[in-house]
Amino acid sequence: MNPRPTDPDRRTLIAAGLTAAALAGLPAFTASAAPRRPLDVPQPTEDSRHLLWWQAPADDHSMIEQGLPVGNGRLGALAGNDPGRELLLITDATLWTGGLNDELDDDGQFPYGRADFGSFTLLARLTVDLPDHDLSAVHGYRRTLDLSQALLTTTYVRAGVTYRRQIFASRPDDVIVLHFTQSGGGRYTGSVTLGGTHGETGGGAESFGASFPGGLRYGAAVTAHGTGGRVRVNGARIDFSGCGDLTVVVSGGTNYAPDARAEYRDPSLDPEKLARTKVRAAAAHPAATLLRTHVADYRALYGRLDLSLGTSTPGQRALDTWERLTARARDRTPDPELEAAYLQFGRYLMISGSRGSLPLNLQGLWLDGNDPDWMGDYHTDINLQMNYWMADRTGLSPCFDALTDYCLAQLPSWTALTRSLFNDPRNRYRNSTGKNAGWTVAISTNPHGGMGWWWHPAGNAWLAGTLWEHYEFTGSRTHLEKIYPLLKGACEFWEARLLPMTLPGSERQVLVADSDWSPEHGPLDARGITYAQELVWELFGHYRTAAGELGKDAAYADTVAGLRERLYLPQVSPKTGWLEEWMSPDNLGESTHRHLSPLVGLFPGDRIRPDGSTPRETVDGATALLTARGMDSFGWANAWRALCWARLKHAENAYELVTTNLRPSTGGGNGTAFNLFDIYEVEQGRGIFQIDANFGTPAAMTEMLLYSRPGHIELLPALPAAWAASGHVTGLPARGGFVVDLRWREGAPTSVRVRSVGGRTTTVAYGGTSRTVDLRPGRSVTLKGFTR
Amino acid sequence: MRSPSHFVLPARALRAAVVLALAVGTATVAPAAHAESTAPAPGPAGKPYMGWSSWSMQSSKYPGLNPDGDYSYLTEANVLKQTDALAAKLRKYGYEYVNIDAGWWRDKAWKPQFDRYARQKADPQRFPRGMKAVADHVHAKGLKAGIYLPVGLEKEAYADGKAPIWNAEGCTTADIVHDDLRTTNGWDSAYKIDFSDPCAQKYIDSQARMFADWGYDFLKLDGVGPGSFKSGENYDNVADVAAWQKAIAATGRPIHLEVSWSLDIGHAADWKKYSDGWRIDTDVECYCNTLVSWENSVDDRFDDLPAWTRHAGPGGWNDLDSLDVGNGAMDGLTRAERQTYATLWAIAKSPLYTGDDLTRLDSYGLSLLTNREVIAVNQGAAPPAHPVTASDPQRVWAAENPDGTYTVALFNLADAPASVSADWTTLGFTGKAAVRDLWNHENLGTHKNRITQALPAHGSRLFTVTPRGSALARTGYEAEAPANTLGGSASVADCSACSGDRKVGNLYLGGELTFTDVVVDRPGTYQIEVAYLSGDARTAAVSANGGGATRHTFPATGDWGTVARVHVPVTLKAGANTITFDSGSGYAPDIDRIDVPKTS
Repeated sequence: MNPRPTDPDRRTLIAAGLTAAALAGLPAFTASAAPRRPLDVPQPTEDSRHLLWWQAPADDHSMIEQGLPVGNGRLGALAGNDPGRELLLITDATLWTGGLNDELDDDGQFPYGRADFGSFTLLARLTVDLPDHDLSAVHGYRRTLDLSQALLTTTYVRAGVTYRRQIFASRPDDVIVLHFTQSGGGRYTGSVTLGGTHGETGGGAESFGASFPGGLRYGAAVTAHGTGGRVRVNGARIDFSGCGDLTVVVSGGTNYAPDARAEYRDPSLDPEKLARTKVRAAAAHPAATLLRTHVADYRALYGRLDLSLGTSTPGQRALDTWERLTARARDRTPDPELEAAYLQFGRYLMISGSRGSLPLNLQGLWLDGNDPDWMGDYHTDINLQMNYWMADRTGLSPCFDALTDYCLAQLPSWTALTRSLFNDPRNRYRNSTGKNAGWTVAISTNPHGGMGWWWHPAGNAWLAGTLWEHYEFTGSRTHLEKIYPLLKGACEFWEARLLPMTLPGSERQVLVADSDWSPEHGPLDARGITYAQELVWELFGHYRTAAGELGKDAAYADTVAGLRERLYLPQVSPKTGWLEEWMSPDNLGESTHRHLSPLVGLFPGDRIRPDGSTPRETVDGATALLTARGMDSFGWANAWRALCWARLKHAENAYELVTTNLRPSTGGGNGTAFNLFDIYEVEQGRGIFQIDANFGTPAAMTEMLLYSRPGHIELLPALPAAWAASGHVTGLPARGGFVVDLRWREGAPTSVRVRSVGGRTTTVAYGGTSRTVDLRPGRSVTLKGFTR
Repeated sequence: MRSPSHFVLPARALRAAVVLALAVGTATVAPAAHAESTAPAPGPAGKPYMGWSSWSMQSSKYPGLNPDGDYSYLTEANVLKQTDALAAKLRKYGYEYVNIDAGWWRDKAWKPQFDRYARQKADPQRFPRGMKAVADHVHAKGLKAGIYLPVGLEKEAYADGKAPIWNAEGCTTADIVHDDLRTTNGWDSAYKIDFSDPCAQKYIDSQARMFADWGYDFLKLDGVGPGSFKSGENYDNVADVAAWQKAIAATGRPIHLEVSWSLDIGHAADWKKYSDGWRIDTDVECYCNTLVSWENSVDDRFDDLPAWTRHAGPGGWNDLDSLDVGNGAMDGLTRAERQTYATLWAIAKSPLYTGDDLTRLDSYGLSLLTNREVIAVNQGAAPPAHPVTASDPQRVWAAENPDGTYTVALFNLADAPASVSADWTTLGFTGKAAVRDLWNHENLGTHKNRITQALPAHGSRLFTVTPRGSALARTGYEAEAPANTLGGSASVADCSACSGDRKVGNLYLGGELTFTDVVVDRPGTYQIEVAYLSGDARTAAVSANGGGATRHTFPATGDWGTVARVHVPVTLKAGANTITFDSGSGYAPDIDRIDVPKTS
């Protein structure tokens, strides 16, 4: 939809908001500098903690469960790996339909359609057809995903010739490379076809370009070259014949720009032309060089964390990944290397999907069709936050930046839309105070500065909390300075929104959140929902700390601190024994609902701690509510439950939830697909991919191994029996600016090394033992002798 | 032909409903000497027959096949064209029968024509030179000719009961049917013949004589019951089939008698006794814009065939219907589906007759139809293959060949590619084996313990496996052993076909059987052989040591007195284990015993 002209008042407001912000990040698709070309030849791994493998290719119609993902942080693809037809479904994180979407519907809510709000959608479809390589005519088929190199390899034998196909997505060269080789005197004959998926017309075999009604331009390009034989353009495809090897290079992108002032477009950018330039530049180098360049770049991130949860049996190692998942679920036998690989797969997805462009959405970076459920959007009431809980926890702080950049690039628009539309009389959640300040979001947000489904007042606080946690892990003052305006704007919103209330039966005056919906069940209009109270309480605390550290806005920080003192915090219901979700002793929603909104103070928040610092009644109420929520839900909901149980140091519950997510998904049921994507059963028999559990589950695994908050680290807080025998993790970040290397045996730490990456002082505790560590940045200390 | 419920084409209705006046005609064939010097040597169906049938193209709405209305493909010109193509392209591979299916005596409005003796008469539009001329042409090409009839006295042939029976003085159509004109066959298009009157056999004799005189070598008798989606006394055509066998013998001409369709397995003994082959299932054709489709109904055969397997052998074979794999576009199948279709037909030792347009075979189709290694599996001395694993989406069928090798087929019936493994322990040996890929004419070397291959959706592999290891030792555990635990409704019952003469049955709605002391030396996944009985295909959840269960489907054994054996994988620990068969919320087969290999 084209943005419609808006009335002068609103235009003025939006303009005011826009000029307040600086350009938040680099354009997503842009000319890249010549990459560094390392000389060391990458070594493939045989370690089943880093290697996934399968004995069958994907079905063209089941790519979301069976296609293997590659990505360079912006440009992604699902690859099918069929010998006779390689299929790549290619995505760019910024390829979205829709636009600003700044007109409310009659119910005071934003429209939520693919034309107005927009949808994440496919960029291109690439096929490499090899007509003589029917799967039925080859044997010894195998494909691997080497997580340590971000490399897909398919091998098979046909008529005595071993054929090998490698696929990788390079960030330094900004292309996806398909390299076909063979040994034994074989030849490749077939065709390459690149096309759009939106009815694009024109373009030749080597590129295409088009634009959406919302104004976003996009394009893609491909080139192919071989050794021996010949390669030539033939109409809409590239034919090759008699080639001893073949290299296909593809790239593409959009003219999206993370800049509200430019209405999120770079009018000077021709994506088709840029894609052609990129594939030509890359194709000038041998595929082996491109691979080396890619692996070196990737390993700089992947190599930051190493994890062993124990040793798997030779029998387990002999199984392919899908058989292994099936056997693990059927036999209920721990498979520590598979479980470690699942965490590393999450890290692989993070590195592949979140670098220098938009953040990971509901689908991450991967699609099998143009119209993903819920638009593949940014859901701010758990899913987007969960996507990033593991980034810092698994040594991938640079991948977090995409979320920061997104929020900052959207902030001017979110501010403008909040100021112009939130107090619209049709909006049931408008501020009763009549005041309006700062910014907030809807549950669904898009990359065009727009919002979609359902106003979400507390969404601002949760996004702020997530960005704050990144600061706690990294201690980056630059980050803190960047997010400070966002924190402050959120505080201003709540300053305008909070309502004073006298608690029934007491004289006590408290502040409560205005009418709101605790996601995504129970009454639509309830004041003082626990979700909002907890998030705003955290927000105000973070803001006060931020203002102090940056030496800014001292007076306002005092104001915010004063508001925080008066905030109502939830009670435990005398009826249910649960921490209340609404300001009511009654259960007004679904007991086993997927969301844990009222437990946001347990995780990701830190208010509720089982260490004696929180009233016992509150911890018990939170535990009772978590128990009532049950142990079997959707993937992300299980992951959140696991994180909460880890915080409560209940190792076995946390582990059970992790392994519940590892159960194989069949018939669309919840669980892990063939390709390890997490499947969300939308309705009986229809499962979709939703990436949050692929990140939330690894986050839970790290929280089972290490709990931290600034100034305090706890080792192995929730180590399950399955991992207890022996294990190690190196490069595990802790809040407060430390990184921990840890070995354990028989459930107890045997060696602990703490390194400062900016932190100064922290306690390090295990069981009954606690040490205080003082370190200068860059220095480390080894600790021994921890006993329970 | 298929059941009326699938019968959407008006001509089918016409065939059943339109009563026509007696077509007055004269006998077109004089009784004459019939011994032809070129006639092949008589003999039973020593091996499955091979050839071509007209019905697939007649029944299809594929553009251009039936321009003059439904089923109009069947003409002399088309049959001769296919005959010539068969002779040119396929005869040297063993294809020899040219079989004319339904409609040769019906005009293009499906109106039937009869001679004055109530015998079917060639439609002059379709076959202007009559049926003998066609057979002569077929024979001249070194091939054999087949023809078709529905069972019973077609209603339109009744002619108020006044039509005389040829060569049966005093007999008329009134004498050969029941007084109440009860109807029979799969479409109720005929009056049931009453063989208590000797005139009835005379009528069959007269039809057989006519076909012999025309020179036909094959007859498909269709709509036969019990079967053809009919049951009950009126649809019991066993006497008709017996009469046909007798009538054919009396002609002195060897005519292969094939009965159709979807025959009742409860009467397998009758079909074996009186015919040379029987259609076990409904039509393979889809009656759609292609000849067939995967779901309608190629894939049904995998579940319907196993109960029949033991009934096939020299003298009579399980007929899976036409093998339409010769032209991808016309067949309506993927390459993988076409290969799987041909694989099942070959290993089941089904007759191999294609319904494709032989003038338009594509190169892949020709390679499927003319793969000599695969044809040899079908035509050789080995028994038909049977399932050696449960009917899971990925499954294995095998047959032990007389030379000690195994024919092994891997199937992936799932809608997505998957790997499929054949464990040598399911074949009864352990260690190494040499594997030859028959479709690809390629030796795949020696494989230890198993072979695993990636198969496309609906795909297959066909191997000859030559054992190089040792015989497998197994330990048997009887289901009825007192140490076992029975749960729910499960109970021990007598079973004369079972080892120990007893089994555990009534495994339904929560009924379960647990073998309590299954001992192995080493942990691992074992292919345990399950001896079971199951009149229909049933499922059981199998688990070890109280762990997670896997639900498997056990193919039907055809009745509750026949034991079959398939293997299911179970992961065991060293030492004593329990193995449980749980019916869950459904119905499980009766269990005779399990045999656990000593090596995994």
